[in-house]
Amino acid sequence: MNEISVLQLILDASPAVKFVLLILFFASIVSWVMIVQRWLVLSSATEGVRSFEQRFWSGMDLTQLYKEGSQMQKEEIQVVGLENLFRAGFKEFMRLRQQGSVDKEAIMEGAQRAMRVAYSREEEKLEKHLAFLATVGSVTPYIGLFGTVIGIMNSFLGLATQGQATLQVVAPGIAEALFATAMGLFAAIPAVVAYNRYSSTVNSITSSYITFSDEFSSILHRQIHTT
Amino acid sequence: MNNTFNNLVIYNGYPLSVVVAILFHIFVLSVLLYLQSNGRTDVLNLVQPSVITALFIDENPQVRNEQNRELQRLERTEQERLNREQQQQQQIDAVREKEEADAAAQQRAEEAERERQQALLVEREELQRLQEAQARLEREQESLENQRREREVVDAERARQEEANNRARQAEEAQAAALQAARTESQLVQSATGLIQQIVQENWSRPPSARNGMRAILQIRMLPTGELVEATITQSSGDPAFDRSAENAVYRAAPFTELQQLPISIFNTNFRSLSLIFEPEDLLN
Repeated sequence: MNEISVLQLILDASPAVKFVLLILFFASIVSWVMIVQRWLVLSSATEGVRSFEQRFWSGMDLTQLYKEGSQMQKEEIQVVGLENLFRAGFKEFMRLRQQGSVDKEAIMEGAQRAMRVAYSREEEKLEKHLAFLATVGSVTPYIGLFGTVIGIMNSFLGLATQGQATLQVVAPGIAEALFATAMGLFAAIPAVVAYNRYSSTVNSITSSYITFSDEFSSILHRQIHTT
Repeated sequence: MNNTFNNLVIYNGYPLSVVVAILFHIFVLSVLLYLQSNGRTDVLNLVQPSVITALFIDENPQVRNEQNRELQRLERTEQERLNREQQQQQQIDAVREKEEADAAAQQRAEEAERERQQALLVEREELQRLQEAQARLEREQESLENQRREREVVDAERARQEEANNRARQAEEAQAAALQAARTESQLVQSATGLIQQIVQENWSRPPSARNGMRAILQIRMLPTGELVEATITQSSGDPAFDRSAENAVYRAAPFTELQQLPISIFNTNFRSLSLIFEPEDLLN
């Protein structure tokens, strides 16, 4: 009786508490999947922004840059982030120009619209799963608390049937109940930390997208008005 | 650099994330279990000070009973040993007597023979053959007799051993039964004593003048129905209020109806009179 392992505690828990623990464990696993996956996506996006801006401002011809991107797509390498924005805007711009549209403002507007669409798509990609992390971070402590309350309730019910109130009767039930809270916090803390960090990263990336699309449209504007 | 990241994001990085997440959880769980199994939390020794302890007076009849029983057992084994020795002695005596008788008979036979020989000395030559035949017969008879005697001795020995074995087995069985009875009895006595202590303790409200180290001993006498006949203070604590509170506690706790369930013999030996020691050990001052 002296040695109570955590495993034993979990196995001896009441069904309700077990169920809660199971939910929390899966929430924890899924949230960690999201955390790692988001980390990969976001760091690749930051890296993509940096490398594309380097290429873009290296004075390379825009047509050349566009062709490089097409080449990459042919090789089945996914084009991400900023490059998508650039390609959408540039493609629309060239198409409208080739169609012989005379209205310069209409061409600019078309290009900007295409970039806006690409931007919202990219933003959606970046913000995927962040809502899930936020939910896990805010809800799992409550689920854990629920398990704890149920567990303590059970142990007090057991106490009521017992004639004599000893620590040995109540203690395992309360320990098992507290384990549910611990599990909830274990799932919630990384999720909250990751959510905060990732949402700030997403903000910085999207703001760099917006800045880039403004800069690019000003370049296009210059091009359309000089010719 | 860009390529590796692109490759990771081809499937949006899901397979890798799943593997990493599961590995992380396995790691955390194993660390938790390892720490739990290693860092044996020191067991808290929450020993509640016993405020009241019951003592059986008359030098604790239970112990005395056990001593008596032990003494009786010793006496019985001693008696058995003596009996066995006596029997052995008797057997030895019987054998010896038989041998003596045989020897006497033989002697007598020889004497008779000699007389007869003397009487028949004249006709010795004629009777020599007859004599020889007779002697042969006698010798045969003697050897037969010897064999019979030996067989008897062996039989007697075997019977004696069997008897001894039986007796030892019976003694063992009796001892085990007695032990069993004593154990259940002591259990009953202990639980009943604990119950009385608890009830009295619940009913005891200590006066403010109670101090650690005070000690009052009350002797209570009870009926088999659990009713209290009387409670007398055999050792005062020196504080009348304290003594009175102890007395009140006993009167308030009575009757101890739980004692009705005890077998009457156990009650008679253990609970007719009981000493309760009142000691407030758990006070802070």
